[in-house]
Amino acid sequence: MATKETTPDKPKMPPINVWAAPVLIGWIVPGGGHFFLKRPGRGALLLVSITLMFLLGLMMRGMMFTPQSGDLLTTVINYGGFIGDLASGALYLIATMFGYNQPDLPGAVHDYGTKFLVTAGLLNILAMVDAYEIAAERKN
Amino acid sequence: MPKMTLSHFEAAFLFSLFASVVLGIVTKKTDRDRLYYGLYCFGCFIVALFGIGWVMRLGHG
Repeated sequence: MATKETTPDKPKMPPINVWAAPVLIGWIVPGGGHFFLKRPGRGALLLVSITLMFLLGLMMRGMMFTPQSGDLLTTVINYGGFIGDLASGALYLIATMFGYNQPDLPGAVHDYGTKFLVTAGLLNILAMVDAYEIAAERKN
Repeated sequence: MPKMTLSHFEAAFLFSLFASVVLGIVTKKTDRDRLYYGLYCFGCFIVALFGIGWVMRLGHG
């Protein structure tokens, strides 16, 4: 006898006014969404970790990606890297505003710097998703 | 902005530390789980760092 399979209900998308502010603040200031949602301990750890990673990337003279198209791999790397850099929020905006424009140089230290800059942004995206889940009451 | 030169190990160690802190915070739901998961991630990074390092050394002969 065939049995009906039941799928768990997909959680509803909360209204935008609930999560937009913490996510936006979390983008501008790493961990800011957590501070906004009164989770200062977690917010402070995120702020320190992401900011230090970004600053170390700058001090290692990592390259900032710019959106460039070309063949598929070039496009994916440059656009993906640019999104990663941009996700650092105010850190990226301030660095570019003050004229940080490091060319891509050979060498392990510069390469690590580039990875640190992109990863800081990617970790900030994770922090923004966490802030969204807290705002949507899917997490405490 | 001062320039900094780190060795491979120092850079990878710092990368592991910061990434583990964030992964621990955003992944789990209780502080105890966050601490354990952060330490677990950090341990995995360090094991991979030494493991892949030795593989490359042996591979180069």
